[in-house]
Amino acid sequence: MQPRVIPGDFKENGVDKSYDEIFSLICKNIEVSIQKKRFVYFIDEHYVMDTTKGFRLENLTPAYDKILHSGLKQLKYPEQEITNDFCRSYNRVIDQLSILVQRILKKLEENGADCAKQKEWFMNLPDSPAKGFEEAIQRMLFLNQIFWQTDHRLTGLGAWDSFLYPYYEAELSAGLLTRQEALEILKDLYRTLHENYDYKSNVLMGDTGQIFVLGKSDEKGNYICNDLTYLFIEAMKEVQLSDPKCLLRVNQNTPRKLMELALESIVTGIGAPLLANDDVIIPNLLEFGISKEDAYEYTTSACWEPLIGGKSSSPNNMMVLNYLKPLDHLLKRDRLERIKTFDELINRYLLYLQGALNEIKRQLSSIRFPYNPFLSVFLYDCYENKKDVSWGGARYHHMGITSVAMGNLINSLLNIKELVFDTHQYTLYDVKQMVILDFEGKEEVRTQLKARSSQWGIDEENIISLANRITSFVSEEISDYRSYLGGSLKVGLSGSAYLDAAKEYGASFDGRRAGEPFIVHISNEDNDGFTEIISFASQLEYGKSRFNGNVVDFMVSPDFVQNNWDKFLDFLMLCIRKGFFEMQMNVVSSKTLIEARKHPEDFPNLIVRVWGFSAYFNDLPEDYKKVLIKRALRNEGAA
Amino acid sequence: MKGQIESSPKILTVTHIQRMCFHDGPGIRTTVFMKGCSIHCPWCSNPENIKFAVETYEKDGISGTYGKGYTPSELVDVIGKDQDFWGLEGGVTFSGGEALMQADGLTDVLKQLKERKIHTAAETALFVPTKQLQKVLPYIDYFIVDVKILEASLCQKVLGGNISLYHNNADILYRSGKLKLFRVPCCWEYTFTAENKELIKKFLSQYPDIPVQIFAIHDLGEKKYESLSRPMWRAKKIEMQVLTEYCRELKSEGIQAEVIQI
Repeated sequence: MQPRVIPGDFKENGVDKSYDEIFSLICKNIEVSIQKKRFVYFIDEHYVMDTTKGFRLENLTPAYDKILHSGLKQLKYPEQEITNDFCRSYNRVIDQLSILVQRILKKLEENGADCAKQKEWFMNLPDSPAKGFEEAIQRMLFLNQIFWQTDHRLTGLGAWDSFLYPYYEAELSAGLLTRQEALEILKDLYRTLHENYDYKSNVLMGDTGQIFVLGKSDEKGNYICNDLTYLFIEAMKEVQLSDPKCLLRVNQNTPRKLMELALESIVTGIGAPLLANDDVIIPNLLEFGISKEDAYEYTTSACWEPLIGGKSSSPNNMMVLNYLKPLDHLLKRDRLERIKTFDELINRYLLYLQGALNEIKRQLSSIRFPYNPFLSVFLYDCYENKKDVSWGGARYHHMGITSVAMGNLINSLLNIKELVFDTHQYTLYDVKQMVILDFEGKEEVRTQLKARSSQWGIDEENIISLANRITSFVSEEISDYRSYLGGSLKVGLSGSAYLDAAKEYGASFDGRRAGEPFIVHISNEDNDGFTEIISFASQLEYGKSRFNGNVVDFMVSPDFVQNNWDKFLDFLMLCIRKGFFEMQMNVVSSKTLIEARKHPEDFPNLIVRVWGFSAYFNDLPEDYKKVLIKRALRNEGAA
Repeated sequence: MKGQIESSPKILTVTHIQRMCFHDGPGIRTTVFMKGCSIHCPWCSNPENIKFAVETYEKDGISGTYGKGYTPSELVDVIGKDQDFWGLEGGVTFSGGEALMQADGLTDVLKQLKERKIHTAAETALFVPTKQLQKVLPYIDYFIVDVKILEASLCQKVLGGNISLYHNNADILYRSGKLKLFRVPCCWEYTFTAENKELIKKFLSQYPDIPVQIFAIHDLGEKKYESLSRPMWRAKKIEMQVLTEYCRELKSEGIQAEVIQI
């Protein structure tokens, strides 16, 4: 989040140098700083590649496993295979990485005997596969650090429990490693990735995209996990850092013991792991055209958008669809006296929504990604295709958009249905006036609208079918989109912009004043128990491209969970069966949050879940603090 | 009576359906609060459930109604929304007010639930005609019974309850094997007097195999009293330590007591 300074030597006579040249400068010139720690990890924040021009390849998870199974040199094209410029760039990237490895080795040498282990790891890197557990972690960290150094924002982590297990298992059975030692190593891994917290944070502090995706399912519906799945969660729970975090993939057969560990971690307040339901997500990936082999190995982008890590090149949050905007346009532009029924209103709404989607498609069509041979080395298929990722070298190129304000839209529409079409208390013109004037002179109407319980999140057929009708229209409308690489478009009901996008946005007929936050993802603090929001979420449709992140978000007080431990755990297990898509919890009481807002100095380590990530409460802007307090109060029934 | 034409459909008046309850019986439950009560405890925390008729209220300038009528089938449909969360143990609990006062409609609801093999429970103060209790008894698996004022004249005077009816009902329930839990709301002024404490101990000793939960009454009903423009009676606070002490005393009599927090 610091202002970016671009090194002068990245340009020549005011013109940017080529990718290959800049990558080479980075490997040659970044400051190699080695601390007395278990892992070598450094980002020279003053010598970062600049990708701010045009569109970025960000929010991706590279193929970390590629750096484990061979030395760097074996990744290169053999001389006779070099048939185009890309192959040359590709090989050059690897050569430059080897130069950086040499620089690191030199530095380690200077540091003397303390670094013998690290020296050996880096000696192996150019020519041999990783040999041990710690060495494998070091390699993936090395890769990760270069991704940050070359300005890939929101670099995901992926399935490290799977990648590392063979090394862990081998050392464990050879008596070279104990479980406790592995736990300490993983804790150091978390600490290492937490360094450069400020630099890595995107829009808000903590928004880094660093997420381990743990556990998985096989085709028969069995749940696959290993001891490292547990250890990754244990380590996260013990280090109590806001970042990095875990996402736990679950299915109906997830062991209760693992869920219990997840809950133990969540109730510490760190808001993680986030849960992703394979039983719901995988069928949607398959339907979308992801191969069986890849769908079962999905990870997520920075927070929750399912992504085929290491194989997919296109970002999942290219734009934000604001569901309220088309209703606003309708009210402002349409001849409202012609709209006689609620159904006609919905049809008109969909017409404006179509306009909004066309605009998004138009904008997305202009996107061209920059040349990126480094990413191409670490994305599957670029090598075989001999094509850079920006030319479509990777296996998948789908793009995603997120959305906001679906909850506010549904509440507004249902209010209009009742008050305009059913009971005729107001006309659509009255509604238009109130919304445009931010309820000026109509405060009593606004109070009444605001006092109504939110309909979004109530599991009634008419509400669910309205939401599904709208999202199914969206999926139909975007089905013809193809990116310049041939990728399709997907959409979800989660979006990080519920606060920022709302700030500049006018009032809505759910009693929301201009500028007030939108409803958070799939949530409803007025619900009579969390079963309702889960039941609601499980009846929403996620098929036909609607799987780009759909997270149920609720606040729950720590007492409630702790006093009802077994039943709450039962509840979580039953939620998976019921069929939520994704779920995250903030386990924190309003009392704590209110105190922390008043006396930040007393709560330096209070972590909360914000949108798809966790952050220190003290780092959040006041608006976010207020939203969290309000939600906690409503959930506890005190407001 | 056979062949009799029903003059009016059975309508159940319900104030609230609370989903995901962890405290009203085994497992995860849906609790249905039925409107109307046969007694009037001064410490009642659900004042909206005392009168049988639907009432209007005003809260923060917004008016609304307490109570909504459901036919038995409608009610079964609404509460059935959480069926997937009940699992093997959980189910539906009827509370109130006095749920058993609507035994007619309730029996229909219960029959439908039992057809679906759903676990059913009721929380009751048992001040209901025995006929009513017997009507629902075959269809309820689990009874939570309140223990309040046990001295006959005070019970009549303060609660408006007939204590011999209570004892009789408790015995019937106990013999049925469906009495699973006693609950004792404690307040210094009425239920936690020295005399009543003794009576409670004596009463509970008759049923040593039934667990007992004791708790201090709370003022969580305050906003509801305000919304109904009714004054709320305020009890003198009972310290946790005092309850723990009493709990120990009960335990020494072989009663399986525990203190709970509500």
